[in-house]
Amino acid sequence: MFDEEGYRKLFVEESRENHENIVNNLLALENGDDQQAAIDEIFRSAHTLKGMSASMGFDAMEHLCHSMEDVFSLIRSGRLEVTAPLTDLLLTCTDAIEGMLDAIEAGETPSDEQSASLVQELRAFAEEEEEGEQEPSPGVAASAGAPPEQAEEADGRPLYTLTVAVDPSSTMKDVRAMLLLQNLEELGTIHATTPSRELLEDGKFDGPFEVLIESEAGEDALRTIASGTEISLLALSTPQSLPAASEEVRAPEPAPSEPQIPPPQVQRVMKAEKSREIKNIRVDIQRLDRMMNLVEDLVINRGRLEQIAKKHGIKEFDEALSMVGRSVSDLQNLMMGIRMMPLERIFNRLPRVVRDVANHDGKEVEFSIEGGETELDRSMMDGLSDPLLHIIRNAVNHGIETPEIRKASGKPPKGSLRLTARRDKDNVVIDIEDDGAGIDPERLRKKGVEKGLLTAEAAANATKDELVGLLFEPGFSTAEAITDISGRGVGLDVVKKTIESLKGSIKVETEVGRGTKFELVLPPTMAIIDVMMVHINGMRCAIPVSNVVEVAQTRLEAIHRIGNSEAILLRDQTLPMHRLEDMFGRTERSDTLVVLQNDGRRCCIVVDSVDGQQEVVVKPLSRIAGNCRGISGITIPGDGDVVPVLDVNTMI
Amino acid sequence: MGKILIVDDTMFMRTLLKNILFSGGHDIVGEAADGAEALAKYQELKPDLVTMDVVMPKMNGIEALKAIKAADPAAKVVMCTAVGQEQMVKLAVKSGARGYIVKPFQAPKVLEEVKNVLSA
Repeated sequence: MFDEEGYRKLFVEESRENHENIVNNLLALENGDDQQAAIDEIFRSAHTLKGMSASMGFDAMEHLCHSMEDVFSLIRSGRLEVTAPLTDLLLTCTDAIEGMLDAIEAGETPSDEQSASLVQELRAFAEEEEEGEQEPSPGVAASAGAPPEQAEEADGRPLYTLTVAVDPSSTMKDVRAMLLLQNLEELGTIHATTPSRELLEDGKFDGPFEVLIESEAGEDALRTIASGTEISLLALSTPQSLPAASEEVRAPEPAPSEPQIPPPQVQRVMKAEKSREIKNIRVDIQRLDRMMNLVEDLVINRGRLEQIAKKHGIKEFDEALSMVGRSVSDLQNLMMGIRMMPLERIFNRLPRVVRDVANHDGKEVEFSIEGGETELDRSMMDGLSDPLLHIIRNAVNHGIETPEIRKASGKPPKGSLRLTARRDKDNVVIDIEDDGAGIDPERLRKKGVEKGLLTAEAAANATKDELVGLLFEPGFSTAEAITDISGRGVGLDVVKKTIESLKGSIKVETEVGRGTKFELVLPPTMAIIDVMMVHINGMRCAIPVSNVVEVAQTRLEAIHRIGNSEAILLRDQTLPMHRLEDMFGRTERSDTLVVLQNDGRRCCIVVDSVDGQQEVVVKPLSRIAGNCRGISGITIPGDGDVVPVLDVNTMI
Repeated sequence: MGKILIVDDTMFMRTLLKNILFSGGHDIVGEAADGAEALAKYQELKPDLVTMDVVMPKMNGIEALKAIKAADPAAKVVMCTAVGQEQMVKLAVKSGARGYIVKPFQAPKVLEEVKNVLSA
């Protein structure tokens, strides 16, 4: 069965979806998109959140969502307008909800303190609009004036008087009374009620009430109906004749004050949705991770079996193994597919960020997202979120100019910021492009010298690419003033490091006055990769195949010393050459070169021999080992050896 | 004890209700996440009773109730509602709902209402 923990997880998960829905629709509302649809969506999500949090006993959240629902109920009925201050308040409320969800996820129960003031503010908005708009009191006076219908003669059917009480604890005693009367009507004809049916159905009654009904259903049936939920039958009598009914209502007339439910827009949707079944299940991500680990173990052990098979050369065994091997490959591919998530998951947060930063800076930004459906392994998602956030913030904060400046330079006052994702061969490419001021290389040149990152001479000769590369150096920030939005002490160097830790790369193109474009290239998954196995000084090492350009023979005469480093002339190219002595020790027999590349730049390393290519599972280094520069992780090939995987990014 | 179809747009509420109803010995024959799905499931599963959320995307509970009632006038539908939705529930009752339960659900009340509606 389901335990508290299970409910909590489900609660948090679905609440987050609804929270996101509210935020995105608030932004849509502000952008002037389809107003009614956005309002309906927000109302629905606030209502859903209210119901769920009430069920979990999270009162603070319930109160807050309830107040939001109230406000949107007014907006929906056109009695309250969505103003900028109201949008701000509502967004603040969504932040509070997010905070509460975080707390709930961590096992806490949010307190009312967090939301009380917001609830107050929401109420203030709601009350402001209600002033002078007195709720029309539903038709007491009208119903009292309604002339009682003449009681019909009972043509042979027995008459009963029921005395019924509604449980005082009932949440909706009016509905209870209404249900009872309606159910009774199915058994016969109600001739009268005391007090009147209208009063009963408006909940304007205290204590028991009487119903005069003509019915052939028999006492038992009446008793059953009249002792339903929250209803108790106090008395049932069978008068011989109809008493003079003082008040009577036969058919329920629609109360004029009742709000009209919007006309149904249903038929079209019904057809399309008819065949939809629940074909998806939710799985805890930790279980997926465990499953992935098991698949990885299988991959490792398959490699081991293959080595054993090679040693013994049993034909039958080989055949069976190749079958197993295929299944393992299929399983692995399937598992990778399951772990993929659309980038929307992290993109969805960004419109809100853009809005906040733009508002704060007094800028106008048209933010567009494309390719949110592009998929990425979920383990990459978490890591990608912060760098993206940072770049997006930067773009609005530093890239896009204020409307005045833009107008002065002949641009439309509203800046454009585009986030696009796409699959490119084996990689996922994410572009963040703005049409802002761009980054001035001359400023970078000056700053590079000031910060001591470049000598004056180097600065004078630096190419534009080199200067732009400075942006990713630790401690380099071009912003004149540190703002509370972008300047969080995290620089682009951290962004670059994070992206690299995800086995990705980051590139920036910028043109003064035209804008800046960041390009992130990421492998869709990082757990299982193709590597080239090599020996360096007798030790095995794995190099990601995506980084390998070619393998060549070393000719001693082609090696040149340049200062402390070596370079080799390979065909018409001079490549820096590394011996990796500090990692593997000095070796004499090395005569094979492996040319590596990363992000368009190349270098080569010297190895003893190349053993071949293999698909391996890369495991991160344990925390005990810490962060080893040059090594991105380890892998365990079939023979059980532990082999480091070279981190080419850090070498070039 | 009856065959019940649960309609709510959140899995959270469905699970909550499912466990309450299950503990009362009922058989949960299906779940639906919106009104349109509810109608399709109703026709397919022919449950003894439907618990119907009011506020849902695509097709709200009232419309779904009307559609189910149109397909089967004897359908027994219990509305899942919250304080403040009296007008909606009244509309539902006028459209043929047989009962209602109020969120946050209290297991005894839910079971009582379901039992009463099933036996009526």
